[in-house]
Amino acid sequence: MTEKKYRRILIAVLIICIAVTAAHFACDVYAYRHCSIIYFIAKELWGYVG
Amino acid sequence: MSAERKTSAFRIALLLSVVLLFAFFNLGLYSILTRRLGNNFSGASQAKMVDVGRYLPFEADSDLARVESSLKLTDDLPVLDGAAALVPVYASVVDAVYPEGCVTFEGGTFSDDNYYGENFAPDSKMQYKNTVRGYKAVVDGDTDLFFCAAPGEEQKAYAEEQGVELVYEPIGKEAFVFFVNSKNPVDDLTVGQIRGIYGGTYTNWKQVGGTNRPINPVARLEGSGSQSAMNAFMGDTPYAKKTPLALFGGAVGYSFRYYFEDMVGNSKVKMLSLNGVYPSAEHIRTGEYPVVAQFYAVYRADNPNPNVKKLADWLRSDEGQALIEGCGYVGL
Repeated sequence: MTEKKYRRILIAVLIICIAVTAAHFACDVYAYRHCSIIYFIAKELWGYVG
Repeated sequence: MSAERKTSAFRIALLLSVVLLFAFFNLGLYSILTRRLGNNFSGASQAKMVDVGRYLPFEADSDLARVESSLKLTDDLPVLDGAAALVPVYASVVDAVYPEGCVTFEGGTFSDDNYYGENFAPDSKMQYKNTVRGYKAVVDGDTDLFFCAAPGEEQKAYAEEQGVELVYEPIGKEAFVFFVNSKNPVDDLTVGQIRGIYGGTYTNWKQVGGTNRPINPVARLEGSGSQSAMNAFMGDTPYAKKTPLALFGGAVGYSFRYYFEDMVGNSKVKMLSLNGVYPSAEHIRTGEYPVVAQFYAVYRADNPNPNVKKLADWLRSDEGQALIEGCGYVGL
C-alpha cells in the first residue's frame, strides 16, 4: 500500500470516528435537555472520583 | 522482519489505535451520560410527566383525596387544568364538586407530537396541559381555573401582552427542594451554598463538605413551575455558565417536595436539608424549612362564569383546605 493510499484510509477512519462521536454527543445534548432530572440523577455513577 | 512488514504492522496498529481510542471515549460517554438519558419518551420521562390515568375523578381506584363537599356544581362547570405536580389536587376537586360524566379521558402515548402524552376530550372539564401551555390556555380563555406555582416572567409578559388581568388565589404551600443522588455523601447545604453552586462560586463537592468531584447544577425548562421558583430563589444572583466538565460531575437538581416524593418517588435520589432543616410536611407547616412557596388557583379577572370565583373561594375554605391536605400538600 502506498503512503498516499494509507493516509487517505487513516483520514477516512478519523472522519468516521469523529462524526460518530459528534453525533453521539449531539444526541446526548438533545436528550439531556428533555430528560427527567430525577431519573438523570438517580442513574448517576457515584464515587468514581475522589 | 523486513522494513516493509514493520511499516505495515505500524500502520495497522495506528489505525486500530485510532478506532479503539474513539470506541473507548464513546463507551465512557455512554456509561457516564447516555445510559442515564435513555429514550426521551421512556418510562422515566413518562413518570416525569405524570401518569394522569392514576388520578382520574370518579374512578374507585384513583389516587385522589376524597372529601365531602358542601359545594356541588351542576352546570357552568369551569374547565380545570394545572401543572403536573397539581394534577391530584384539581382531579380531587372535580371528584368532590363536579357531577359524574364531565371528564372524558382519552389516554395517549408519549411522542414528539404529544409531549405530555395524556389527552382529554376537548369538552372534558378536566384537562392537562402542564405549566407552560396551561398558563397560555388560561390567558387565552380556554381554561377557567389553572392550578400552578407562581408564574415565570414569560407567563406574566404574555398575560400583559394580551391585556389580560389574572387573579392568583393562594390555596396551599409547598417546599421547594433540592436533591442529589442517594450515594452523594452530602445531606445538608445552606441556602447560600445552593446559590453559590448555581452562581458558580462552588464548582466541586469538596467545597461544600463532599468528595472531590465536580458539581453539575442541573436546571429545568424555562417557564416550568420549578424553574420559576428557582429564579425567585436565586433572586439577584446570576446563574453561572456550566463548564463541559460539569456534565460528568455529581448533579444537584430541584423540584417541589410533593412532586418529587409522592408523584415520582425514586429511592436512588434524596432530598437535601436546607440550613439543617429537612423538608418534611411538619417543617413546611411550622415555617422552619427556609424555602416554601405558595401554589395558586389562577383565573382571568374578567371570567364571566360565577362558578370560577365560587370554586376558588371553596378551595380556601375548611373543606377545600382539607382536600389540599388530603392530597399530601400543606394547607395555608
